[in-house]
Amino acid sequence: MNAVLAIALNTYRETVRDRVLYAFVFFAFVLTLAGILLGSISVGQDLRILEDLGLATIAFIGGIIAIFVGTSLVYKEIERRTIYLIVTKPIARWQFIAGKYFGLALCVFVVTLAMGSFLLATVYVVSPGHIINSLLLESLVFIYLELIFITAVATFFSTFATPVMSVVFTLAFWLIGHMGQSLRQLGHLSASTTVAKFFDAIYWLVPDLSRLTTVRADLMYGRQPDAELLFYLVSYTAAYIILLLSFATVVAERREYQ
Amino acid sequence: MISPVIVTEHLTKDHMSHFLRKRFRALDGLTLSVDRSETYGLIGLNGAGKTTTLKLLLGLLKPTSGSVSVLGSPGGAQQTLRKIGFLPESPHFYSYLTGAEFLDFSGKVFGLTKVECKERAADLLKMVSLTEAAKTAIGKYSKGMMQRLGIAQSLINDPEIIFWDEPTSGLDPIGRRDVRMILLKLKEQGKTIFLNSHLLPDVNEVCDRVGVLHRGRLVGTDKISSITGGGSYQDLEAYFLECISSSEVKV
Ligand SMILES: Nc1ncnc2c1ncn2[C@@H]1O[C@H](COP(=O)(O)OP(=O)(O)OP(=O)(O)O)[C@@H](O)[C@H]1O
Ligand SMILES: [Mg+2]
Repeated sequence: MNAVLAIALNTYRETVRDRVLYAFVFFAFVLTLAGILLGSISVGQDLRILEDLGLATIAFIGGIIAIFVGTSLVYKEIERRTIYLIVTKPIARWQFIAGKYFGLALCVFVVTLAMGSFLLATVYVVSPGHIINSLLLESLVFIYLELIFITAVATFFSTFATPVMSVVFTLAFWLIGHMGQSLRQLGHLSASTTVAKFFDAIYWLVPDLSRLTTVRADLMYGRQPDAELLFYLVSYTAAYIILLLSFATVVAERREYQ
Repeated sequence: MISPVIVTEHLTKDHMSHFLRKRFRALDGLTLSVDRSETYGLIGLNGAGKTTTLKLLLGLLKPTSGSVSVLGSPGGAQQTLRKIGFLPESPHFYSYLTGAEFLDFSGKVFGLTKVECKERAADLLKMVSLTEAAKTAIGKYSKGMMQRLGIAQSLINDPEIIFWDEPTSGLDPIGRRDVRMILLKLKEQGKTIFLNSHLLPDVNEVCDRVGVLHRGRLVGTDKISSITGGGSYQDLEAYFLECISSSEVKV
């Protein structure tokens, strides 16, 4: 466990000290503030728009950070040969992968927290009397859940593909995850059973992320989703993350470090 | 009986080029063994296969055929990695970490306590004259400073076997002298040392035995004492050139 924590700490420091991160967070702040302007145009709705836009910004910017940092997470170590000093120490491959992953997940957590706090502060400034809805915080938790899932996908691809390819793969994975259900229905419209089976296979292979969106939409409209569904989603996502990291470990164990 | 701690048998490694899928034999049937407390120098021209050998010994690469054993386990085994130190050829570090942070990380990985880490890191930094740069980001280090940090991190666990790939490359004259002193001290402590180098004066001064690698083959191996007899490195140079040219004739 020591090794996992040590690598996680390194990774966290390395990512947090990168200035590009701050540019993204700054951009997120600007977008959030833009919500005030948009909100003021539509009468009576300003807080709702501010919150909606703020959450969408957090999901979007968080996603960009998870994808772009995640896809070079392991690849950069190999490319820059820093990995020579890691895998020749008593660090098992799973510890390396887990450490890299937790380090980035922590960084994404801090970024989400910063952007979330900024949103809450903005809401407070615009309307001090407004009681912060606990559902807004719950939305943030689900955004984070999706972000750490994307981070796991990106980490997996980064063990064997170049960052550009990994970005493409991760985006594809994420998109199919959100539209899997529709794709499947589309496949079933086709006359050929092969096509239908192909889309079925994709649907079963790639996790169904559309439910995360459904939950978030529910939260946004002030409905508390079913506890059972929440539990299911959290465990489903966690299981998928573990699966992806296990695959990443297998790849890291089998490959050579030139 | 003296037992060898590093053994390779008929070790062969083909590098595959990505595009044409062409094979290139970087190492061809290398058989060697290094005894405990021996200082072994692998010498050879650029591209001879020295770094490839080291990477196979550490498990960074997997043999195409043949075998590797370090302390009785195959290359890269976890229990072996606890007891060795490795300095790669021109080591690279995380540029946002400081030298002290990297040493702290290395110590933690080996299970050193906080206090042990701190003491050991301070000693090692002093040994490689990096104390002043300890809190500077490694991204701002010069090549020689990174080399020094590489040396320091390879000794954090007080290893039984030391694998160093061209330890003096990039160092100034004082740095080179320091490295020679460090090596002699490690020798005194009875460490097994495996060095890659093409700097014959350094090899002559510190090694007990050398192997000459040429185009992936071991073309000569002998004790330094019987090559130069404690004399000048020029005899070693003559031996080296002789080994290479006679192997060329055979081919
Ligand atoms: N990843 C690789 N892919 C293809 N060929 C490689 C690869 N790595 C090394 N080689 C080739 O293998 C041979 C041996 O390389 P190696 O790095 O072991 O040499 P070396 O003896 O360490 O040389 P130097 O003194 O320059 O460090 C070289 O001809 C090199 O071109
Ligand atoms: Mg080399």
